[in-house]
Amino acid sequence: MIKARREMGFHSLLKGRFWVIFLFGALLFGIRWSKGAGYLDLYSVLLKPILPGTAQREWIKEGDNVEKNIRLKLLEDDNSRLRRALSLKDFNTYQRISAAVISRSSRNWWQQLEINKGAKDGVLKGQTVIGPGGLIGLIDSVTPMTARVRLLTDPGHQVGVWIDRTQHHGILTGMGTNRPKLIFLNKNSLAKIGDAVTTSPASTLLPPNLTIGIVKFVNEKALPSPYAIVQLTASPEAIDWVQVLKNDAKK
Amino acid sequence: MMLKNNKKILIFFVLICLQFCIITSPDWLKINGITPCWPVILLLPFSLKNSPLKSAITSVLLGIFIDSFTIGDVSYIPSLLLLSIAWSTYGLHNKKIELFLNIGLIAILGTVFVGFSIWAQKIFLYSDLRNNWFHSWSIFVLISEVIITGLVAPFFSSWLLLTYKKN
Repeated sequence: MIKARREMGFHSLLKGRFWVIFLFGALLFGIRWSKGAGYLDLYSVLLKPILPGTAQREWIKEGDNVEKNIRLKLLEDDNSRLRRALSLKDFNTYQRISAAVISRSSRNWWQQLEINKGAKDGVLKGQTVIGPGGLIGLIDSVTPMTARVRLLTDPGHQVGVWIDRTQHHGILTGMGTNRPKLIFLNKNSLAKIGDAVTTSPASTLLPPNLTIGIVKFVNEKALPSPYAIVQLTASPEAIDWVQVLKNDAKK
Repeated sequence: MMLKNNKKILIFFVLICLQFCIITSPDWLKINGITPCWPVILLLPFSLKNSPLKSAITSVLLGIFIDSFTIGDVSYIPSLLLLSIAWSTYGLHNKKIELFLNIGLIAILGTVFVGFSIWAQKIFLYSDLRNNWFHSWSIFVLISEVIITGLVAPFFSSWLLLTYKKN
């Protein structure tokens, strides 16, 4: 009798609304415990088709680039105007000659490149050669159809450079290695690892403010003057196309 | 007929093929980005076969030619001149000079001499290069150049020497 009653009670429990109430309660507890995470996830999944996608991101990026280019152009014009006001050498960024590297000797006793543009295309001795990343060298000699570029890394090659943060000048000397040596003219260089090395803004031989490299090592105690080792931003070993800047070009 | 063909091959090789290699410096003929010492490869067989005077004149002409492809004031001429005299004097007394490894060894020693000459000239001309950075780099270049020249010379130079002898 007792057994039958027990079975009846259990049966009614299974059949009744107990489980519905239990599951509902558990669901509510789950929602409360997860702070509505399921709802939020579901909401985001439903919203996905109407959210800004990759195309919209591209438009925003493109708009941003256009804005930056316009600002850069305005700043360059402004800079050019101020340089003229200060009687500093002007540098026309639009007068460039693109040339392909036809022969490369970037690790030998002589570190040089041969490019496929020469005197016929307006290339002159002493003009500046840049690649993706910045300055790579200067034109050493010219033939009617080709030109020879002496790389910054060539042993003994020297160019005047400038560290903008400390506003100190130095002479960048090629050592043959990938990293030329920057010999400072001041006793106290104040240079730090990570400083950007550029051409001097008051330079008359090279176009001003051209990126050259980044300081990798500084020896302040060296005699007779402190020096730094510079990592070039443009790698001559990997560059197939270069641009020759017409330093003497007028706008 | 055979003699004529050899001469043609020699002219083609010396005047076109090797000069093409010097100008283009192909990547497949480089070790660590360093090319073989072409003046040594060209001068060695000629000096071994000819008199010191003839070799000296050739070395100066070759030096002028090779220097026209390089930048700066450093020259190949002094080292090539001394090497040509030494090689031609050695070659006139030695009958088994065309041995494969013998040529390679002479080319290696010649490359070391040329390398040291360039190194010394650079240090002499540019006082800023008197430091360990440049010296360690020079040793690296010298070793690489010696290895690649030592590998290339036994093929090029011994073949050139045999062709010179046949002519």
